[in-house]
Amino acid sequence: MSAPALIVQELDVRHGAVQAVRGLSLEVDRGEIVGLIGPNGAGKSSTLHAIMGLVRPAGGDVWLDGESVVGRKPEDVARRGIALVPEGRRILAELTVEENLRLGLAARRRRQDLDADLERVSELFPIIRESRKRPAGALSGGQQQQLAIGRALVSDPDVLLLDEPSLGLAPQMVDLVFEALQEIAVRGIAVLLVEQRAQRTVALAARSYVLSNGRLRLTLGPEAADDTETLVNAYFA
Amino acid sequence: MRRVASLVELLVPALLVALVALVGTIVSTSTQTYVITALVNVVIVVALYVFIGNSGVLSFGHVSFVAVGAWTAGILSIPVAEKPAIMPSLAGFLRDTTVANVPSLAIAAGVCAFYAFVVGLPLMRLTGLAAGIATFGVLEITHNVLRYWEKIGPGVTTFSAVPETTGLLQAALCALVAVVVAFAYRHSRYGRMLRATREDVAAARAVGVSVYGQRLIAFVLSGALAGLAGGLYVHLLPVNTESLYLNLTFITLAMLVIGGATSLWGAVVGAVAVSAVDSFLAVAENGIHIFGGVLNLPAGTRVIVVGGFMALVLILRPSGITGGRELVLPRAWGRALLTKSRP
Amino acid sequence: MSSATLATVLGADWQTLADAFGLGGIYALMAVGIGLVFGVLRLVNFAYGQLIMAGGYALAFAYERGWPVWTGILLCFAVVLLLTLAMDRVVFRPLREQSPAVMLVATFAVAFLLQSIAQLWFSSQGKIAASLSSLNQPWTISGVDIRKISIVATAVAIGCLLVLVTVLGRTSIGLHMRAAALDFQTARLLGVRANRVIGSAVLISGLLAATVAVIMTVQTPLVTPDFALRDTILVLAGVVLGGMNRLVPATLGGFAIGFASGFLGGALPTDKSQYLPSFLFAAVIVVLLIRPGGLFTRSGQRAVERV
Repeated sequence: MSAPALIVQELDVRHGAVQAVRGLSLEVDRGEIVGLIGPNGAGKSSTLHAIMGLVRPAGGDVWLDGESVVGRKPEDVARRGIALVPEGRRILAELTVEENLRLGLAARRRRQDLDADLERVSELFPIIRESRKRPAGALSGGQQQQLAIGRALVSDPDVLLLDEPSLGLAPQMVDLVFEALQEIAVRGIAVLLVEQRAQRTVALAARSYVLSNGRLRLTLGPEAADDTETLVNAYFA
Repeated sequence: MRRVASLVELLVPALLVALVALVGTIVSTSTQTYVITALVNVVIVVALYVFIGNSGVLSFGHVSFVAVGAWTAGILSIPVAEKPAIMPSLAGFLRDTTVANVPSLAIAAGVCAFYAFVVGLPLMRLTGLAAGIATFGVLEITHNVLRYWEKIGPGVTTFSAVPETTGLLQAALCALVAVVVAFAYRHSRYGRMLRATREDVAAARAVGVSVYGQRLIAFVLSGALAGLAGGLYVHLLPVNTESLYLNLTFITLAMLVIGGATSLWGAVVGAVAVSAVDSFLAVAENGIHIFGGVLNLPAGTRVIVVGGFMALVLILRPSGITGGRELVLPRAWGRALLTKSRP
Repeated sequence: MSSATLATVLGADWQTLADAFGLGGIYALMAVGIGLVFGVLRLVNFAYGQLIMAGGYALAFAYERGWPVWTGILLCFAVVLLLTLAMDRVVFRPLREQSPAVMLVATFAVAFLLQSIAQLWFSSQGKIAASLSSLNQPWTISGVDIRKISIVATAVAIGCLLVLVTVLGRTSIGLHMRAAALDFQTARLLGVRANRVIGSAVLISGLLAATVAVIMTVQTPLVTPDFALRDTILVLAGVVLGGMNRLVPATLGGFAIGFASGFLGGALPTDKSQYLPSFLFAAVIVVLLIRPGGLFTRSGQRAVERV
């Protein structure tokens, strides 16, 4: 079996004097969805930011397909094949939906199959094709989330990171997004899903890492999704 | 403890001013002019601090108050007999009146307070970049009008025949007055309310602070102080529209930035430090004797050094030399002082 | 109305109109450069005029040595581009996180700094850069002298504007530029080389400054340390009036102020035209108060915050 697409090893992240992440190790294989859950302030976003190069980790390493990407600039990390769907979506409201999507092409490595990939994204999220020319700011929260994911996908990434995509979304939208994630994983992309909604994530993912106070407390499989007691204990460990 | 700390906050800048004045008593007459100029600069920079430091809003236009203050005090101070010579088109009231020195300064401050009020009424709604541009517009308009409207002043001609009454004592006293006024304002309700808006406009509004009103108050107060400085200037050096325009704006802003825009101490330190360097360079440009040799700097070095320093401070330490904080008494001293006062 | 009546009513003549058009063209070109940098960096570059001054001095340098015209122009471009790069690295980038007001003060300081360096180096007297003076020769059309340079200036301004609008609106790099300007960090996350892209925008503004230097020295061959300072201030006012946030309104604003300056300056009797700057800046203040997005933009676009 080939090496996992994404390996995080003993990651330490500091924000000033505060240690946000301590000695975190995880890995994500191609085609699997891995969850990273935990209470607010656990260090989940910090982990994603460190992987993307938005913050420089105080210690540890990040491997993409066997190559170290730690300490690289965000645009370089993106161009190597890791795409982040940021918290709050970070859609550029003044640009059109189409322009937002095209922006995702900046990190794309292969020129081929461009149209095919754009087509697939439109199939996955029809709203994108429907509102192509509209300013992205006119879209609803759920629609913007779809656009954000689509934007990440057109860069043809090997690894997809998502920072709390269900935040502020209506339940039907959450369903839609989570279904899309399954389809994305089927295509061979490694998905790391950061979420606060523990139950749904644990049910969806191959395995879920529980982070609390910067430390990895527990690894849960989908069978634990209905086990409320374990979940609660894990959160407050 | 708090009262002691507050007192230190006032005394230290005041002491610095006094120190500068003392230095002025022991130097040569020509150097003394530089010292007096430094003290007048303190007044201007403290005025800038009162507004910019407390509100966080940039103003490029305060030198227009200095100019109007200079105009007011200058025109009123020139003896009636000599006015027609330099200002032939002067309007009636101005032409026929002359006042003594101190009243002229007071009137200058008053006129500028009024001018600042009129200007501030529309402008205090603006913030950030817009405020910067709008106040720059005020500077331009004032400069333009003073330059060409000969009914209210000498226009392009340099002021002359103004009695040179700004001596060391008067300048030092005015600088002290400025420091005290700024200190009093800073600790008043109004000052604190304004500073709240500097930190977080939305929160301040939420507790009922009128951002517009507080800014206007500070603007008027700082305008009055700047006008006073203008009055001092016109009685010290020959001034014209060009000397109270972009260059002065630049250097006084530099003084504030380098010293630390958000503290009174910073304003005074900045004014004194930059004036000292500027004076030294000005003297050096004329050739001074150092270590047996003669140092003769080329003209224009002053602005380069000051400008370069200002840019450096903005880039590397935007809070200035003092870090934008008032001078605080070290804890140990405060404790010692307290225990001492107990019976 | 016949042209004679028009002339009498306005107190002007076609000559003034033609000259005003020329000034408008030059100011429009400056506005493109200033507007571009503002658009991507939220930075009002007070020191833009000094870039033009530096270009002017480069041209004078070449002229004094009798170098061929094209060498002089190349030198001008080289000098201005180097200075622009230096400005970007030393001043703009470190200050990127600061508020636009702080950046305004910083560029103000830089402007003064450069002006003094020029004063030191070249003295206030000024140098002559007259290599392209042939372009100052007029075409005479029915009694009106239209200087070739006015037409060149306007044409270049329109051309540059069109090219830039096309690049910004329709190309990938233009999209990257706009994205980096709107949300620097997110653009980087998507793989946009944001620093590089913004640097390119700054370089383009440098190119424009060099072009302005060439054009300006045709009409004003005497280069002094405060060359283009007053013009920069007026163009800034025009950009604010037109609409800081978007390139086309900003350029229109620049053109409008140049045209108004030239026209009113020529048409009004001296005792009234003296106060032109006051009217212009009063207009700027009014616009900032009631229509902060600018006169030529669609209403509702806010470039500046209000209390």
